Amino acid sequence: MVLVLAIGDLHIPHRAPDLPAKFKSMLVPGKIQHIICTGNLCIKEVHDYLKSLCPSLHITRGEYDEDSRYPETKTITIGQFKIGLCHGHQVVPWGDLDSLAMLQRQLDVDILVTGHTHQFKAYKHEAGVVINPGSATGAYSSITYDVNPSFVLMDIDGLRVVVYVYELIDGEVKVDKIDFKKTPTTTI
Amino acid sequence: MVNKRVPEWLNSSMWSSPTTSHPPPPPKSQSKPQSPPDSPSHGNHTSKPPSVASSESSVNEPRESPPSPGLATARSPFKSGPAGPVQTVQRTEVRDPVVSSGSSDNEISPREDASRQAQLLQELSKKTINMGELQRLASLGIPDGAGIRSTVWKLLLGYLPRDKGVWPSELAKKRSQYKNFKEDLLKNPSEITRKSEESTSSQNGEDKGLLSRSEIPEGEHPLSLGETSVWNQFFQDTEIIEQIDRDVKRTHPDMHFFSGDSASAKANQEALKNILIIYAKLNPGIRYVQGMNEILAPLFYVFKNDPNEDFVVNAEADTFFCFVELLSSCRDNFCKQLDNSVVGIRSTISKMSQLLKHHDEELWRHLELTTKVNPQFYAFRWITLLLTQEFNFADILHIWDTLLSDPEGPQETLLRVCCAMLILVRRRLLAGDFTANLKLLQSYPSTNISHLLYVANKLRS
Repeated sequence: MVLVLAIGDLHIPHRAPDLPAKFKSMLVPGKIQHIICTGNLCIKEVHDYLKSLCPSLHITRGEYDEDSRYPETKTITIGQFKIGLCHGHQVVPWGDLDSLAMLQRQLDVDILVTGHTHQFKAYKHEAGVVINPGSATGAYSSITYDVNPSFVLMDIDGLRVVVYVYELIDGEVKVDKIDFKKTPTTTI
Repeated sequence: MVNKRVPEWLNSSMWSSPTTSHPPPPPKSQSKPQSPPDSPSHGNHTSKPPSVASSESSVNEPRESPPSPGLATARSPFKSGPAGPVQTVQRTEVRDPVVSSGSSDNEISPREDASRQAQLLQELSKKTINMGELQRLASLGIPDGAGIRSTVWKLLLGYLPRDKGVWPSELAKKRSQYKNFKEDLLKNPSEITRKSEESTSSQNGEDKGLLSRSEIPEGEHPLSLGETSVWNQFFQDTEIIEQIDRDVKRTHPDMHFFSGDSASAKANQEALKNILIIYAKLNPGIRYVQGMNEILAPLFYVFKNDPNEDFVVNAEADTFFCFVELLSSCRDNFCKQLDNSVVGIRSTISKMSQLLKHHDEELWRHLELTTKVNPQFYAFRWITLLLTQEFNFADILHIWDTLLSDPEGPQETLLRVCCAMLILVRRRLLAGDFTANLKLLQSYPSTNISHLLYVANKLRS
């Protein structure tokens, strides 16, 4: 039972001052084992805050990140799953399923987590699953102003992943879940 | 005037310097002929530890002396003058390995051992067991060799009913109950949500496209802060589980049974953890308190070393129920809120203090008033942990034989044993100041357990 937080596109301090209070009250240290962050934090303070939630922190570089040392893409293995991480502004057209699928095949991962569009999405295709946790602060994106704050928490349990989607709609936190099972394929 | 009364029997043989005459063999409470064993044992005294090996034999010898108070005796003293305590310690050091091996090389003991064993076996073989008789026999000590300690303890703690005929059904019932506890309480939330989902089948049909979102019951997500949320409870329990894990790893680090890298040690630790976690979950009022692992350890050890294969396999389940029973008599000691109440640990400690005052006022005065050794400094650990930290493991089992066989619960006997522990080192205590006394009492010297239990029994008045 591994809890992985997928979060990103906070754009603090340029486009948003902080995480919504309701999200902050839920994110307490000790519960989450890994954090994967799509990028665009943008400053070190946010990095430190995320680090305080969980020491295992993985970040990829978004185009507004002030720390230029983050990698463009990252691959992590958690339990039975290979998780790929990329901010997504590199994948053109932004948010296009086929292009993201191409990136997923390149990274050879089961779950690809990208951001940049500030819209939550969860796609499934033959190669695996693509998850976009959206923007945790609800910051405006290059595409739209109408953004609901959201992030994703994945519960990895053997070959099964339960994806909990946390969204702040009209000031209330709504949580949904998505189930996803990996078919055990023989690795070549 | 200060009442310097020291109890009569303290004046007797064990405490004074040796002289040469033999005391006449006193009337025995048992039917065994005593005179022949007497003389060789006397002869042995000067060269060997006075009461060697098993508790049964040693209980025998002290019983011989009380009828002759004040009589200078040939029996080697336990303490002869200032050198006494040191001597005692030296002698008992030799004794310990013998005790732990469970055998004896004193002429009395094999016979005593055998007789005690025979009586116990006879009692156990009856269809309906006489609890009073069993308690009386057990309080004298259960022989190590017979492998009956496990069964006797289960009877004393009320886990096995008196009527032997119902044992199989009772045991089956209890064991399946424990199995259910394990299934219900030792699961993590992921498994729980998975189980509840398997009943409502979900398919992974679509190959492509947006994944469908499904609703979740109110607050049942991992970050939930709701009181009723399975996840929240799980995270709150994690703290306790970590604490239990740490304590179990530290239990009896010198024993292979409990610690080390072997598979059996790990399995035993796992069992201890399960029992403590389930107890904590079933008793939200008291949860887990450090020290419960120490009370659990001897129980599990004894039950796991039962010669009967069936009992060994189910040792975990049996230990759980016996642990619950044992703890029910002393759980008030673990509850912090009850500390200052009538049933709490402070009151128990003061009861012990009063007991000491009643039996040995001089020592009491010296300890509490002159040297100001507050009984809380040493008695707290003695009482809450049922003396498991004061003696070596084999001795603990012997003491527990007596503690568990008290029909009113171990507390009364425990206080008497604590009192006896103080009285046995009275010379050193009377000679010591605060630091020396505290040091002595916090690391109590190893001593002849059967003598200790005999003295404790004498305090029963």
